[in-house]
Amino acid sequence: MKVIGMIILKVFLVVFALFAVTFTVYFFNLDMKATSLLEPLFIKHYDSMERKYYL
Amino acid sequence: MAEKLRVGDNELGKLYTDGKVRKRREWRGVSDTLYDYWRWLGTMSVLAKFIVKPRNIKAMFRYRWMANYLASPMMLDRFSQGLRGEYLRIMHEEYDTVFKDIGLLLDKVFRGDKRIGNDKKFSDKVVLVDENEMTAVMMGFKTLKGLSRETISTYVPVLLNQHSMEHYIDVAQLQGLAADVCPMPEAEAGISIDDDAPILGKCAVQCNTTCDGSLLGNGIISRRLINVDGIPVFQLAAPLRHREDDVQDYAAGEIKNAIAFIEEHTGEKWDWDYYFECAKRVNYATECRQEWLEMNRTDYPQVFGGNLALYTETNYMAICGKVVDFEKADRKITELARRAYDKKLKMVPQYRHRAIIWGVQSHYYFDFLVWLVNCWGIVPLTDMLSMVSTRKLVTEDTPENRETAYYDMAWLTENMIMRNRTHGGYKVLLDELWEFVEQFNADMVILWEHQSCKALNGMHGQFEEKAREKGIPLVWVGHDLFDPRIVSRQGVRDQINNFMRTVMNEEPIDPSLENLPDEKSW
Amino acid sequence: MKDLKHLIYFENLLQSANNELIRQAQKDGKICIGYSCENVPEPLLNIGNAFSTRLRAPNTGSTEVGTYYLTNLLCEYSRSLLERAIEGGYNHLDGLITPDGCTMMNRCIENMELLNAVAADKEKFFYDYMEIPMKADENGLKLYVTQCKNHILKPLSENYGIDVSDASIREAVARHNRICELIRAIGEFRKGRTPAITGYEFHVITLCTYVAPKDMLIGKLEETLEELKTREPMKEGEARARVLVVGSEADDEYFIKLIEDSGAYVCADRFCYGSLPGRDPIVLTDDEDALTQICRRYMSRCQCPRMMDTPTMNGRREYVNKLAKEYEADGIIYQQIKFCDPWAYERMLGSHILHEEYDYPVLSVDRPYNIKSSVGQMRTRVQAFVESIEIKKIRGGAD
Repeated sequence: MKVIGMIILKVFLVVFALFAVTFTVYFFNLDMKATSLLEPLFIKHYDSMERKYYL
Repeated sequence: MAEKLRVGDNELGKLYTDGKVRKRREWRGVSDTLYDYWRWLGTMSVLAKFIVKPRNIKAMFRYRWMANYLASPMMLDRFSQGLRGEYLRIMHEEYDTVFKDIGLLLDKVFRGDKRIGNDKKFSDKVVLVDENEMTAVMMGFKTLKGLSRETISTYVPVLLNQHSMEHYIDVAQLQGLAADVCPMPEAEAGISIDDDAPILGKCAVQCNTTCDGSLLGNGIISRRLINVDGIPVFQLAAPLRHREDDVQDYAAGEIKNAIAFIEEHTGEKWDWDYYFECAKRVNYATECRQEWLEMNRTDYPQVFGGNLALYTETNYMAICGKVVDFEKADRKITELARRAYDKKLKMVPQYRHRAIIWGVQSHYYFDFLVWLVNCWGIVPLTDMLSMVSTRKLVTEDTPENRETAYYDMAWLTENMIMRNRTHGGYKVLLDELWEFVEQFNADMVILWEHQSCKALNGMHGQFEEKAREKGIPLVWVGHDLFDPRIVSRQGVRDQINNFMRTVMNEEPIDPSLENLPDEKSW
Repeated sequence: MKDLKHLIYFENLLQSANNELIRQAQKDGKICIGYSCENVPEPLLNIGNAFSTRLRAPNTGSTEVGTYYLTNLLCEYSRSLLERAIEGGYNHLDGLITPDGCTMMNRCIENMELLNAVAADKEKFFYDYMEIPMKADENGLKLYVTQCKNHILKPLSENYGIDVSDASIREAVARHNRICELIRAIGEFRKGRTPAITGYEFHVITLCTYVAPKDMLIGKLEETLEELKTREPMKEGEARARVLVVGSEADDEYFIKLIEDSGAYVCADRFCYGSLPGRDPIVLTDDEDALTQICRRYMSRCQCPRMMDTPTMNGRREYVNKLAKEYEADGIIYQQIKFCDPWAYERMLGSHILHEEYDYPVLSVDRPYNIKSSVGQMRTRVQAFVESIEIKKIRGGAD
C-alpha cells in the first residue's frame, strides 16, 4: 500500500510539476515571448537567401 | 475604474505592451482560465506534432511566410479576448478546428513540395486551388487533395501577424505593379514572383475569384505554374452577374469543364457517392449557420462577431463539406449556442448597439470584431462575408440530381465568400444590406472601406444616402486589407472611437481598450 | 505636313458627348444607344434605325460629385462618366448597355441607374447589363450569344420595335465593315518611315467612329482617305521614335498629341478606343447565324486583360509583338489609366515580357483620364523614353 501510495504521490508530484511549469508558461505568455525573440533571426536568414524573381 | 464586465480581467488593454506580444494571458476566473489553458495545451501538441517532422523544419527555413506561424497561439488569444463560458468554448471549438486543419494543410503541402518533402506520388494526387475559391469542384474527388498554397502562405499569415505580407507587397510593387490594387492578390503575386510558393500538384484550378485584382493576380501565378513549374492550370470563370438566370448554364458548363480537366490530368474519376456525402455536410453547415443567425436576430445572439466570421469563411469555402471534423464542430457549436441562448447569456453585460458589419473586413485586424464588443458594447450581429448562400444542395443520387448537382456547385462557386456581394449587381450589396438591418433589428451599420476594393468603393455614395434616408448611423472604417502601413490597427479603432464619442456621445465600456500600443504587435 | 481638310470637323465632334451628328441623327428619328466597353458588340447596337455611341466625358474638369459616389479610388474614366451623367451630359441617350467588363465601369453605370441620372424623362429609355465571357471557348460563346440576345436585341426590339433578324444584323455588319475598312485603309498610312498621317490625326478620326453615327461619317472618311493618297508625308527622321501605344481605355486625343509633341510618333494604337483590333472588319459566312459569328469574333479578338485563359493571356503579348513588327515600332508605351486594376497587372506583366522576352524598349506609365491635368510629368517621361530609344539606336541596338 505504501509503495502504491508513493507511486501515486510521485505521479501526482510529476503531474503537478508539469502543470505548474506549463501553466506558468501559459499564463505569463512565455511561449510567445520566446518565439518573438526567434522571429528576427528567421527574418535575417530569409533576407540572406538568394531569390530568383520570376514575373 | 472600469465597470465589472466579467469574471477575471476587466481592463483588457492593460495586457498590451508596445512589443510583439502581450504581458501575460488573460485571467478568466478559475474554470475558464483552466479551460483556456487546456486548449492551449492542445494547440501546443498540434505544434509539437508539426515540428517533429524534419520536412516541416526545413520548410520553416525555406519560406519567409512560415515565420508567422510562430505567432499561432497568440492569434487564438486575440480572438478569445474577454470571452467567458460558452462564448469561449464556441471560440475554441471553431478556431482549434481551423487551426488543426491549417496544420494538416501545411503538412500536406510540404509533403508534396518539390523543395521540401518531394513526395512525387503524393504530389500527383494534389490539385492546387485558389485561396479565395469555392472548392466545390473537389467535392467528388475522394482520392485527390485540393490544396491551397495561398491559404497557408498569404491568408493565414496575415491573421497571425499583421505585418506578414508587407515584404511580398513590396516585391510586387518593385516589379512595377501599381500600389492601388488590392494587397491580397498583390501579396499572392509577390510570393510567386519572390520564388516563395511551394511547388507541388498534378494540376491547378484557378478561379475568377472576388475581384478584377484577384483575377489578374492569378495570371502572374499561372504563368509561373505553367512556364516554370510545369503544372497545367484550368481557369474557372464563374459568372459575375450570378443572380441572373441566363448565366447559370454557363456556370454549370464551367464546373463540368473543370471536373473534366481534373479527371484528364490526374486520371481520377468523379465519385458521385462522395459528392453527395459532402453535399449533406454542406447542407448541415448551412442549417447550423442559419440557426445561429436566427438567434442573432433576437436579444440574445450567441455565435457572432469573431466567432462567426472566420469560421464561416473557412467552413463554407475552403472546407465545403469535405472535412468531417467541421461537421462535428458545427454540432458542438450549435449545442453550446443553444445552451447559452436558453440561459439568455450575453458576451458582456452591456449590449449598447446592434450592428451589421458590411464590406470587406481588415484582414490584419480580424479580431476587431471582438474589440467592438469589449470596448464599446457594439454587437457585430453578422457580417457581409457570413451572409452567404443558404441554398440546399441536392443530396440523393438520381440522374436528374446529378445534373442539378452541377448547377449547385456552380451556384456555390458563383456565390463564394465576398464575390456573392461584391458582384452580381448592386442589389446584393446595397439593397440587401438594408434588408438585413431590418431582419436583425440592427441600429447601426459599420462599413468597412477597404481602400483598394473597387466594387465596394463604387457604392460609397449610395450607402451614405441610403443610411441617411433610413436614419441608421453608418460608420466608415477605412483600411487596406493586408497592409497596416496604410491604416494601422489604432487607425482602424480611432474611426470607431471618434464616431462613438463625437457622434453618439458615448463612453467606452472598457476605456483601457480605446488606445492600444499594438503597432508592432503580431 | 499640311492640315487634313476635315480635321477640325472631326475634332469638333469630340468636344461633346452629344455631338452634332448625334443630334442630327436623332432629329431624323434614329435611336441612340450608349455603351461603355469594347465587349459590347458594336454592330448589334447599329441595327435598324439604332446607332451606337461609346461613352466619353470630353473636357472633364472637376469630378467632385462622381468622386463622392465612387470615391477617389476608382478610375477617373468611371468617375468622369458619372459626373457627366449627373451634369446631364448623356440625356440624349435612348438606352445604355454595359457589360460587367470591369467592376468600376459596372459600378459607374449602376450609379447612373440608381441616381436616375440619364434621360429620366424618356419613357422607353433602358439600362441593361451583360455578362461577358472571361475565356475564349465554346461555353463562353454560348453565353455571349445568350447575353446579346437578352440584353441587346431584346430591349432594342421590345422598346423600339427594331428588327433584330439575322438579315438585319448582317446588314448592320456590312455597314460596320465599311467603316472598319476605311479606318484600316487610313491607318495604313502610318506604316513606313515616312507616314502620311500623324498618330494624333488618326486617333481623332478613329474616336469619331466610336462616338458618332457611323453612316454619317462615311463621306468625310472617304475624302480623307483620298486626301492621304496625295498628301506629302512626314520627312524621314522627323519623328525621333515610332511607338506603339498599348493599354487601357484611352479616349483622350490630347494624350496621343502629347506623346507626339514629345518627339515620338504613334504608329499603332492597341488600346480601348483604338483601331487595333477595334476596327478589324467582321467577316461573316452564310453557314452560321450572324449573331454567333459576331460573338465569336468579339470573344476571340478581345484584348482586355479580364480574359483569363492562358492562350488568350499569352495571345495579348503576341499580338502586341505582331503589331510592333507590322508597324515597325521602335518602342512600346504601356499605358494604364490610374486605378485600373486589370491594366495595372497587365501593364506590369506586358511591359516586362515585351522588354525581357521580345526585346523592345518599353515605357510603362499610368495616366489620368484627362491628360491636361498632368502634362508635365507625362511629357518628361515620354521625352526620356524617346531619348533612350535614340541612344539605343546610336549604340546599334544594345541597351
